[in-house]
Amino acid sequence: MPSTPPPTAPQSIKTRPSALTGLLSNEALARLERLRLNPHRRLTNRSQGEHLAGKGGTSTEFSDYRDYAPGDDVRYVDWNIFSRLNRPYVKLYQFEEEMHVMLLIDASSSMLFEDKLLRARQLAAAFGMMSLLNMERVSAWAGRRTGEPMKFLPPCSGRISLRRLFDFLEGLEGGGAMSIDESIEAALRQHRGRGVAVLLSDFLTFGSLERSLNRLFSAGLEIFAVQILSPSELAPDVSGDVRFVDSETGRTLDVSSAADLLGIYHDQRQAYAEHIGEQCQKRNGRFLSVGSHEPVDSILFDACRRQGWVR
Amino acid sequence: MSWPGFYTLSAAWLSILLIPLVIFYFLKLKRPRLEVPSLLLWNQVINDQRVNSPFQKFKRNLLLLLQLLLLACLILAAMQPFIPSGADRVKYLPVLIDCSASMAATDAGESTTRLEQATQQVSKLIDDLLPDQRMSIISVSSHARQLTSFTDNKRLLREAIEKVVTTDLASRVEEGLRLTQALSRTVPIETVILYSDGNVPERIDFDLPFQLQFHRLGQPASNIGITALTAQRNDVDTWHIFAEVMASVAAASGTKVQLIHEGEAVMDDYVELEAGQSKRLLLQVTTESASELEVRLIPDGSDALEADNTAYLRLPTARPLAVYCSESLSAFRHALQAMPGVDLFPDGDEPRRRTSYDLAITDQELLDGIESNVQVTVGVIPEAVQKLVSVDTGSANVVDWKRNATLLQHVQLTDVLISDQARSADGVSDGDYESLGYDILAHGNTGPLILERRTGDRLFYHILFHTDRSTLGYRVAFPILVANAVRITLQEAALSEVRAAGTGILPPQRLDPDTTYSIVGPDLKQESSTGDDGMLSGIAAPRSGFYKVLEDGVEVRRVAASLLSAQETSLRAVEELQFRELTVAAAVDQVKNDRPLWHGFALGAFCLLLAEWWYFNRPAPIVTT
Repeated sequence: MPSTPPPTAPQSIKTRPSALTGLLSNEALARLERLRLNPHRRLTNRSQGEHLAGKGGTSTEFSDYRDYAPGDDVRYVDWNIFSRLNRPYVKLYQFEEEMHVMLLIDASSSMLFEDKLLRARQLAAAFGMMSLLNMERVSAWAGRRTGEPMKFLPPCSGRISLRRLFDFLEGLEGGGAMSIDESIEAALRQHRGRGVAVLLSDFLTFGSLERSLNRLFSAGLEIFAVQILSPSELAPDVSGDVRFVDSETGRTLDVSSAADLLGIYHDQRQAYAEHIGEQCQKRNGRFLSVGSHEPVDSILFDACRRQGWVR
Repeated sequence: MSWPGFYTLSAAWLSILLIPLVIFYFLKLKRPRLEVPSLLLWNQVINDQRVNSPFQKFKRNLLLLLQLLLLACLILAAMQPFIPSGADRVKYLPVLIDCSASMAATDAGESTTRLEQATQQVSKLIDDLLPDQRMSIISVSSHARQLTSFTDNKRLLREAIEKVVTTDLASRVEEGLRLTQALSRTVPIETVILYSDGNVPERIDFDLPFQLQFHRLGQPASNIGITALTAQRNDVDTWHIFAEVMASVAAASGTKVQLIHEGEAVMDDYVELEAGQSKRLLLQVTTESASELEVRLIPDGSDALEADNTAYLRLPTARPLAVYCSESLSAFRHALQAMPGVDLFPDGDEPRRRTSYDLAITDQELLDGIESNVQVTVGVIPEAVQKLVSVDTGSANVVDWKRNATLLQHVQLTDVLISDQARSADGVSDGDYESLGYDILAHGNTGPLILERRTGDRLFYHILFHTDRSTLGYRVAFPILVANAVRITLQEAALSEVRAAGTGILPPQRLDPDTTYSIVGPDLKQESSTGDDGMLSGIAAPRSGFYKVLEDGVEVRRVAASLLSAQETSLRAVEELQFRELTVAAAVDQVKNDRPLWHGFALGAFCLLLAEWWYFNRPAPIVTT
């Protein structure tokens, strides 16, 4: 008999008195404090921040020298060089700008299976915390039902916003049929700012992701896509004649001799994951597929670090 | 090649069940529902499956195909297909199984008896019995017995053939054929199958109204057996035992002959016989009292029949013959007084007077209080024939007489003059006497002179004229006539000669009148009652051995029936049965019958069911991700 656990209601996260959030342990939070996102591109905003921009600025990070030109602030003249060369040179510093980290969480019904949504919220909390502690702007979006406004955490920054972020994620509920591409489209209609878009979804959508990813790329957002699949999706245990019911659309699909098709299923799943990863790479983004049964610490401090998502 | 036929073609209507099967299959009423996060991957799997493998479509509907095949098999089985044998099909098939003594023979090199071979072949027939065919099992020995009515119930038929056992009787095939002919009045019978070893009479007095398939069983086998056993009193205490031993027609053989008297072997002999030869052996035993005698054969080699190796005799006690003769018949008394071993009554000694005699000779119509096995009346017309014949004074002489009748053997009646003239009534013929049970032994010129009648075990001779009014008393023929009467009496009383009884019917036994007796024999128990005359008769003795006559559980008599027919012992087998107008040759081949195929289809359906069950419940393949 086929055995797939039924979808479960999202667990209500209760914060322990001694813990900052119920989503992550204090030990994980302590380790996350020392990490920061490591995007390929330096997509920053004009507002002052702690993220070093590609252009020169007023930070303490030395960048280069150039000849003094009339009108330059004499405070930036390197007097040691002037004394040796008798020519004035101006010290240039890197510009520190703010990076916008958009957390986009798929909270549709398909994410209710086997802790997928929980793992998405944990990862969102981790990425959000890293960003906030590094003075980035963080906004969070959660798409549930088509036609309904997305649940939205306005952009915030600074350590002070940690509580807001955790409250948002802890109170996030799932259910609905909004696909990830619809969520991206809806989020981009309100989003402003360049940076990183962290997509947390199972990406099991019938729509085309390419357009959505293009729009993210156009919006100056580097894509960090995390596909979260449940164990029953990774290794389904089905046999005989089965009528599959889509948890979001209610559509059915009759499959005969399902056990015979498991090989094809795995091929398809791997091919689909590779396809999404390829789409992300084309847009200078990254892709990671994880299982909802994998511990979040393992994902964050092992998989993400090894793939250079964080440093 | 013959195309298969169908007995129940109407069952083809069941094929419309294929439609709901397909409908139900595609409705997939029984598919378990399984909620999954998304159908995306499974949709791609299905698309990939359709594209990649042209056989996947077939594979996908394998369940439907298996179910369709299974239903088709069941429908075909219900249609009762068969492969025609080419022979004419019969609806009613009587099967005659010969169960005579020779069918118990075990042929050389065989481990089964001929009857077992026959039942095995009939079992095959029963297995191949088609739904519209009815079979009846009839066992045939000296009589025929229908074991089952015409039925297609294979269980009943198998039970019937299991009950068929051999009897120690001769085979009378015509009895079975007559029974079948009687059955043909109720059902149309075209063909009759006979399983026999061919040990039947060469000529069968029967007109075949149907086709007969004669299947001969068995091979020539070596057998030796006793076919006759008689004992003749030689002296007061000495008996001569004559045993006839016969060998089968197949092979010469030798046997040791053992004479057992009262359980003790008293004499041994050895005899060697050519094939089909018989020999008469003379043995001797000395006894005065009643005793049991057994002759047993111990053959040298293999012996096909066991039942004919033993024969039994019961020797009577030696005693003088008790003869009653009316005192008025002085000529008779005079002749009797001269004979040895005869006690003549009345003799004037009142205490010796008795009521039961072996022979009674009287000139009175009724003998009050006197009973005898043999009775001779002189000058008395029996009451039954008084309307047919009358005796007047006149002159009569003997025109003709039965010279082979025991009473008249060596009796010359040519010149005997009789002054009592027996005259038949007008229009009375010899047939009228015979219809009353009387046999005319001597004819006068106007009517019968001597009559004979047997009633049960009693024998009556009626001399219608008085010997005192004829010249018979002065002739040599007269003492010969009296001596013949005494000899007949000795035989009837079994005092001078006894014969071993054959199987079939037990010899009549005189017992208490109006009494019910139980007769317990080999594999048989039956009850019978005596009539007014105290005769117990008509007791079936199908097996060789002793039969005990019990009254209220107490044995009152022990009778042996042991001799088989010489034909059975000879194991002679005919190649063909000769009927009045045609001859039926023995068939060599097994009976051809249509071969039913429904078993195969039913088995196929079962295998498909198992295959379907296995296929859809086999463990899922292990897939490494």
